[in-house]
Amino acid sequence: MSILLVVLSSILIVRLAQLQLFQHSKYQSQATIEHTRKYEVPARRGELYLSDGTSRSPLALNQHLNLIYADPSHVSDKPATAKALAGVLGGQEADYLDRLGKGIEYTVIADRIPIDVADKVRALNLNGVGIEPRDYRTYPEGSLAAQVTGFVNSDGAGQYGIEQYLNDQLAGTPGKLAAKTDPRGIPIATADNVIKPAVDGKSFQLTIDRNVQAMIEQQLADQVNKVHAKSGSAVLMNPSTGAVIAMATYPTFDPNQYSKTTDYSVFMNKVVASQFEPGSGMKVFTMAAGLDQGKITPDTLYDDPGSVKIGDRILSDAVGDKPGKNKSMTVVLRDSLNTGVIFVLEALGGDPNKITLTGKKTLYDYFTKHFGFGQRTGIEQANEAQGVMYAPNSPNGGDVVYASNTFGQGLSVTMIQMITAVSAVANGGKLLQPHLVAGEINDDGSLNPTATKVVQDHVISPKAAADLNQMMQVVVQHGSGYMAGQMNPGYKIAGKTGTAQIPSPDGKGYLDGQNIGSFVGFAPADNPKFALMVRIDRPGVSGYAETTTVPVFGNICKWLFKYYGIAPSG
Amino acid sequence: MSTATLTARRNQNLYRQPAKVRLGPTSATFVVIALISVLALLYLNQITKTNLFSYQISDLSHQKSQILAEKQDMSVEAARLQSIQATQNSAVVAKMVPVGQVSYVK
Repeated sequence: MSILLVVLSSILIVRLAQLQLFQHSKYQSQATIEHTRKYEVPARRGELYLSDGTSRSPLALNQHLNLIYADPSHVSDKPATAKALAGVLGGQEADYLDRLGKGIEYTVIADRIPIDVADKVRALNLNGVGIEPRDYRTYPEGSLAAQVTGFVNSDGAGQYGIEQYLNDQLAGTPGKLAAKTDPRGIPIATADNVIKPAVDGKSFQLTIDRNVQAMIEQQLADQVNKVHAKSGSAVLMNPSTGAVIAMATYPTFDPNQYSKTTDYSVFMNKVVASQFEPGSGMKVFTMAAGLDQGKITPDTLYDDPGSVKIGDRILSDAVGDKPGKNKSMTVVLRDSLNTGVIFVLEALGGDPNKITLTGKKTLYDYFTKHFGFGQRTGIEQANEAQGVMYAPNSPNGGDVVYASNTFGQGLSVTMIQMITAVSAVANGGKLLQPHLVAGEINDDGSLNPTATKVVQDHVISPKAAADLNQMMQVVVQHGSGYMAGQMNPGYKIAGKTGTAQIPSPDGKGYLDGQNIGSFVGFAPADNPKFALMVRIDRPGVSGYAETTTVPVFGNICKWLFKYYGIAPSG
Repeated sequence: MSTATLTARRNQNLYRQPAKVRLGPTSATFVVIALISVLALLYLNQITKTNLFSYQISDLSHQKSQILAEKQDMSVEAARLQSIQATQNSAVVAKMVPVGQVSYVK
């Protein structure tokens, strides 16, 4: 008996030693796995604010809401479940029944549900219906500045606009928690828990002034509807800093309900993402090159033949322009004479009767290296287009193309490039970095402001800028921008219209009867406070930019003069 | 009672040797087990209390999250009510008149 006891005890001791000493680490790790769970601690997405006078107002915030979902295969009594859901969530019982009737394992019943309503759904204790708490992005201003903002998709990634461009900075870095849990899997706060804190995303204030933005969006919508256009865009910039005060495109969308949008093209911020042939607005920069090079002055005269033959192509002035002798460069800009800017291109090459490689190279340099066309500006927006301009030694850089380039055809630009370049004319020759971020908001709420960045100090001389300013004022006083001047008596406004044909998608010529009208300028011309560009795409009424864009430009100026308290200068 | 007896009694308790308490092996084992049990109970009691605190911390964290969520909700609602769209639809704004001609004092 004693021997048996000794043997059994020995076996027990050996087994215990085997389990507790030799296999200690194995069982300890198994226990740890069973008692410990790893969690990802979500980082709070940074918020976005609009400027509002000296304060700021929310543009994009975060909200802790709930997603109600169902696994229809586990819902036993679908009509009763649908009725119960409709009773709490509202809406039609039939809609819920329809969703539950789908032969799939997962269906979304309702999205963005507040906590108290979700608690009521939870209390129903419905089989097959689940609740998932989520952080949602909320845009309290609705559709205001929607394309500039973009949205955050269901995976938490920024899409379009600034939400996409600054996604990494806004998103922050999630933290990690390895915690011991009780049998129900609930983490227990112990000293052994390993925590890597989440780093919240950064918050930013934009340069967009919400009052100006709202006004411009309204003006744009009214005009697009009035002229039965396909779309319209506008951008307003402070020419002294490069800060974008407003940036709008119509039609627009509500980022709170982006998933309900069927036409995805409305997500695009056309001011930065849509490149187009600008038409005569480009004549401003052709003139800038001629003036800065000293090849022309505002009073330089040329004989307008009405059309010129370049290679096998005849390039003409617009319909209605009559040929004539001794037309000045000011008149060329005022009347938007194509042959006049071709004359400038020839002058840049040193031969007044011929387009030369030197002339083309000089024009190319001014357009690209001085004014920044053909390259992205770097504004804080996703999907920025860079535009197209062919180098003079490229296969597409022939004389006809360059002659067309002088009046804004055969190349493409973006509105943000145009307004940045015009701002350089307005401020006396400095090309500034356009920007939408006024600064990063510190934890204490103070602003770490974005510094004004000068891209190029002297794209043209102050004298050339001043001459061009005067010539552009004449456009508003007596030319195609006349209506804007009439709407704002006593104010000096400089500007230039452009009506561009739309290239055919098949690459053969241009679309009949369709155009893009634009007007770009600044005011007050003697001390510019703002630069503004308006673009109306494919209006359904006849006429050039003076009938589609100039009225809305004039209206916006009128409002801005009052808003900024700018007195007329006589 | 005889004198001898009385003498013997008188001398009997003049000095008493203190009694030595000695535990046998069985008693010692029981004492050790009892001590270990008491310590184990104390340990369990403390662990239970700690865990209870952990649950309280979890509950408080949950409440904190809910309050923060409610605060966020209110911030969003406040922002929505102050939005341009809400302002333009307000009865106060409806009674406002557009700015007419502005005269500047130079």
